[in-house]
Amino acid sequence: MRERSRRLVGWTVALLPVAVGATAWTAIRSGRSPDERIVVSMSALRSDWLLVFGALASAAMCGVLVLRARRDRRCRRQLAEQSAESARDRRLLLSRLDHELKNPLTAMRAALANVTASTDGADRESGLRSIDAQVMRLSRLTADLRKVADVAASHLDRRPVDVVALVEEAIDIAGGQPATGGRRLRVDLGAAPLPRVVGDPDLLVQALVNLVDNAIKYTSPGDRIEVRAREAPGAVAIEVADTGPGVPEADLPHIWEELYRSPGARAVPGSGLGLALVRAVVERHGGTVQAQSWLGHGTVVRILLPSAGAPGASLAPGGRTDRQKAAEPAT
Amino acid sequence: MSTILLVDDEPAITDNLAPLLRRAGFDVVVAHDGDQALTRLRAGAPDLVVLDVLLPGKDGRAVLRQVRQERREVPIILLTQVGESGERAMALEEGADDYLNKPFDPHELVARIRAVLRRGRPAGGAALGSAQRLRSGAVLLDRASQRVFRSGQEVLLTPRATVLLAYLMAHPDEVMTRERLLEAVWGWSFPAGTRSVDTRVAELRRVLEEDTGNPRLITTVPGMGYRFSGVVESA
Repeated sequence: MRERSRRLVGWTVALLPVAVGATAWTAIRSGRSPDERIVVSMSALRSDWLLVFGALASAAMCGVLVLRARRDRRCRRQLAEQSAESARDRRLLLSRLDHELKNPLTAMRAALANVTASTDGADRESGLRSIDAQVMRLSRLTADLRKVADVAASHLDRRPVDVVALVEEAIDIAGGQPATGGRRLRVDLGAAPLPRVVGDPDLLVQALVNLVDNAIKYTSPGDRIEVRAREAPGAVAIEVADTGPGVPEADLPHIWEELYRSPGARAVPGSGLGLALVRAVVERHGGTVQAQSWLGHGTVVRILLPSAGAPGASLAPGGRTDRQKAAEPAT
Repeated sequence: MSTILLVDDEPAITDNLAPLLRRAGFDVVVAHDGDQALTRLRAGAPDLVVLDVLLPGKDGRAVLRQVRQERREVPIILLTQVGESGERAMALEEGADDYLNKPFDPHELVARIRAVLRRGRPAGGAALGSAQRLRSGAVLLDRASQRVFRSGQEVLLTPRATVLLAYLMAHPDEVMTRERLLEAVWGWSFPAGTRSVDTRVAELRRVLEEDTGNPRLITTVPGMGYRFSGVVESA
C-alpha cells in the first residue's frame, strides 16, 4: 500500500512540470492570460518556453522513474528466486534430517522391545549396548549439526597459520586411527616454501582431518591417499587425493550439502556432515572448495585458502606483507 | 515355522529386529543390500520379506519390482522411510502387501507379519498384495491405472479414496484403525486426520455400496475402525 502511494507521488511530481507548462500554454494561447515575449534573440512566446521546459523536465523524471521501477522489479524477482531456493534447501535438509533420525530410532525401539522381553542377561546387555550406540550416534549427529551452524555464525579466531604444521597435525590425527589400516598415506608439500594462511588453526585442522577421514572411509586397504599443498596465486591449495572408487558425476555437486548421502555410499557409516563442515570452515576463511572424481580411479578434493596478505584474507593483528611471508621458510 | 527374510542396510536395525522376530517364533535370514536380498530369495524360499526401501545399490523398490517380474508371489512388507503418500501408492501398485513407516513399533511389525501370513494367498490366484486387479462382488479395482469399476461401469473417485480402497481390499477382514489407515494411505498421522479417514470412507460408501445406510463392503467396527467385509479375489 505504502509502496503504491509512493509510486503515485513520484509520477505526479514527474508529470507536474509538463502539466504546468501545458496549462500555462493553453491559458496564454486562448488569451485568458496576458503574454509577453521573453526577451531573447529567438522569438517565442513565454508559454512555448514553459511548455518545452516542462516537457523536458517531466521526460527526464519519467525516465528516472521507469528505470527505478525496472530495477525494483528485478530485485523483487531475485529475492523471490532466492527465497524459493532457500525454501527448497530447507525442505531438503528437513527430509534428510528426518531420514538420519529414523534409522537409529527404529533400532532403539527394537532393542528396547528386546530388553523388555528378554530374561537372558547376555541378550539384555547386548540390547542395552545397542541402545547406547544409537544414542551416541544421535548425539554425534546433533553435535555435528551444531558445529556446522556455529562455524557459519560464530566469531573466528584470525591469526597466521603455518600450512605445513596444519597438514602434519591433520595427518597425525586422522592417520593415527585404526581404520587407516592398509592404506598408504603420503604427504607432498613441494619444494617451494608455502605462504601462511590467516584463520583459526583448530577449525582448519578439523576441516583437513575430515577430508583425510573421508578419504580413508571411502577407500579400501591397498589404496593410496595423498595430501598435497602448493602455493597458488594469492592462495594456498591443499588437495586430498585418493585412489578409491570415486564419486558418480551426478552426486558430485551435492557432496558439500548438509546431510547428503550418496545413494551408493549408504553402506559407509557417517552422517553426511563431514564435507559440509569442511565447506563451512573454508568459506568462512574466504576460501573455496572443489572436488573432482573419476569413477573407478579416485577423487581429488581441493581447498583454496587465501594466503596471508592476499586481498581475500583479512590480516591478522600485526599482519605482514606477502613478500615477507613468501620469503619465510616453511617449518 | 515361517522364515522371514529381513532386508535392511543398517546393522543396528537387523541386529535388534532379528532376535525380536526369532523370539516371536520366526526363522530369520538377513540381507544387507538389494542384490543380496535377491540372491537369498532365489536360494531359499522365505515365507515373507521385510524390505527396507532405501538400500545401497539396488533399492527396495527395484527389488520389489524384480521379485514380481520373476512371478514370485512371496508376500512383502515394505519399510518406507520417506513418508510420502505418493510413494505408498506406488508401493501398492508395485505389489507390496503392506508397509510400515520408520520408526515403527516392533510389535506392530510382528502383528503385520502374522496378519499377512494368515491372509495367505487365494487358491490359484496371486496374493492380494501383488494382484494387478482386485474384485469384490460388483466392485473391480485396477491397480495400474488406478481405476475403479462397479458392475462394469467406471466410477469416479478421488485419488486418495482410490488408494484407500486398494489398501482396504488388499487387507480383507482385518480391522483397520483410523490411525493405521492414515499412516498407510496419507503417509502421516495428524490429530485431525481421523476425520479425513471418515470422509473418504463415506465417499467410498456413497459410490460403491448398494445401501449407504447399511454398508456391506466397508463396515464400521465400533470403537475400533473399519473393516473390508466383502470377499476379495484377484481378477
